[in-house]
Amino acid sequence: MRTGANPAKAGLPAYKPQRLGIATIVYIPSQEGYFQDSLEILRFTLASLREATSQSYDLLVFDNGSCAEAIAELRSFYEQKQIDWLVLSQHNIGKAGAWNWIFAAMPNELIGYADSDVLFRPGWLEASLQVLEAFPQAGMVSAQPNFYDVMDGQGVAHLKLRGDERYTFGDYWPAREIIDEYCLGIGATDEIASPFYQKPLPAITRQEQGVRAVIGASHMQFIIPRAVARQVVPLPASMGLRRAETMSLDYKIDELGCLHLSTQNPYVFHMGNTLSPRLLKEVDQVIEAGSIRPTAAKYSVARQSGWRRMAVRLVRHPRFNRQFVRLYNFLFQALHSEK
Amino acid sequence: MRIGQNPAKSIEHVPQPQRITVALVTYIPFLSGYYAQGLDVLKTCLGSLWESTQILYDLLVFDNASCAEVRAELLEAQRQGRIQYLVLSDKNVGKGGAWNFIFQAAPGEVIAYSDSDVLFRPGWLERSLEILAAFPQAGMVTARPMRTPEAFYTSTLEWARQQPDVQVEQGSFLSWETYLEHVLSLGTSEEQARQWYASRQDIRLTRQGVSAHVSAAHFQFTAPKSILAQFVPFEMERPMGQVRSLDEQMNAAGYLRLTTCEPLVKHLGNSLDGGEARVDSAAVRRSHVFDLPLIRKALLRLYDEIFRIYHT
Repeated sequence: MRTGANPAKAGLPAYKPQRLGIATIVYIPSQEGYFQDSLEILRFTLASLREATSQSYDLLVFDNGSCAEAIAELRSFYEQKQIDWLVLSQHNIGKAGAWNWIFAAMPNELIGYADSDVLFRPGWLEASLQVLEAFPQAGMVSAQPNFYDVMDGQGVAHLKLRGDERYTFGDYWPAREIIDEYCLGIGATDEIASPFYQKPLPAITRQEQGVRAVIGASHMQFIIPRAVARQVVPLPASMGLRRAETMSLDYKIDELGCLHLSTQNPYVFHMGNTLSPRLLKEVDQVIEAGSIRPTAAKYSVARQSGWRRMAVRLVRHPRFNRQFVRLYNFLFQALHSEK
Repeated sequence: MRIGQNPAKSIEHVPQPQRITVALVTYIPFLSGYYAQGLDVLKTCLGSLWESTQILYDLLVFDNASCAEVRAELLEAQRQGRIQYLVLSDKNVGKGGAWNFIFQAAPGEVIAYSDSDVLFRPGWLERSLEILAAFPQAGMVTARPMRTPEAFYTSTLEWARQQPDVQVEQGSFLSWETYLEHVLSLGTSEEQARQWYASRQDIRLTRQGVSAHVSAAHFQFTAPKSILAQFVPFEMERPMGQVRSLDEQMNAAGYLRLTTCEPLVKHLGNSLDGGEARVDSAAVRRSHVFDLPLIRKALLRLYDEIFRIYHT
């Protein structure tokens, strides 16, 4: 039975969310293989976000069924008050499934999303907000020029602005270093990288403010206004990480008449799943002294034994390559399957 | 940079949410004073839920900045797979703020909400769903009968009186014991309860052979998510005290507010009066050959080695 009065009814104020909320999805099912450096990279993501973000924000971390070590790390961040909302999902409900939670529930006026392998640089928020303010019809703004059009030219929202005197359309040729960095981030082969150097990116300029943005945005990192986010859910979510599902976000945003935009300069960097000396150097620059710092020795290149060199040659042979991938995926499924 | 393909891309199917999300909000900021028995009450609530719910469901717990001991209990239950979604909020966003989160994010078509000081009895969810099915206009169904102000169920009465296939009865259908159990849990004296009991009556509706009482309460209810989503966002300036707007809005929008005829949940309040032994059902975890420590270790080693070889 109730004894006494609940102190929560005493008229104390509840927490008022910040204007900006930032969310990330974590999926580190093990600390082996593809994910061997993922926990360290997650630390860099959160630390760089903290160091490079000039305004107050609420941070939501959605853990999509990670291993115990990753959850322990997130708990530790939460206890240190570095995470405002920590969502622990028993199962991996897929990236789109986690987006459904984030876009439906975050109370902030602006919702920033980033994969948990993104390095933030100072100025990312200012540059993104500048684009959002210049283009109020923006549905998604990334802080890195978008090179890959997931909608494959099917997007139409920006076409409505053609003929509007307030806007001009044009080409943007990013500097070679920007393309180099993008290709490095996604681990692009020469074949994949080559077209990026040969054609410009489509851009739009808001004349009055003199603000130019690249047309297109990336799923890796973006800001979406809450009003738009609420209209795009639920997204289909039956698979772990398939473009067919995540790109439904783009189609819905486009159908709403909202623009996909990105900044001309890269204020975020896709770290991926490995730590290179180049990355570690930049992490050092972004993250202030005294906070999380990389330990160089841990990432020194190990010498390869003779049998491993042989094994490498073997798996690269077209005849065995496919079997190796199948075995690898089978082991992943066996070790981390939900069933 | 990215090396290799993210294995998550090879996951063909992820578990789909259950049709029903059972959602609880917890707020136990310390374990003294008003909250001295808070953790025991919470354990009783969760234990009875696990024990008394036979229908498949996902459990979502929104912790509204509770103390470390409560978080530890919830995290352990989540680790054991007994809580499917655990949301830890570093700040108390109020009950309204927690509802805003739950009513929009809960993945089930049906949300069975409860405060964290409720005892569940067998059949609570089955009977609530049965009423939702028999009364499609139902907005919320509480799993125990009670008597609440008519102002919150005028739409229910109006609708019922217009339906030829709905039988409407008025009388004293609630037993004294059932009535007393609830009002005592609110801290009301027995004397006051007797006066109220004698002065009020119940209204019972029957449709398609399913009976329900007119009334509902926001401490526990089952509702279609599509209906709840119409009423967000709730005000969230204060931790509590602003949630009555759900009752008002639901009635104003013309949705039915109903209860089961039997007391299938019990409001515990902030203390256990001795009648509720803590129910603690055994954890149910998947058992799999790949979970055997030695096999798992060997497979992880192989998995790791393949990755290194493949991506060297």
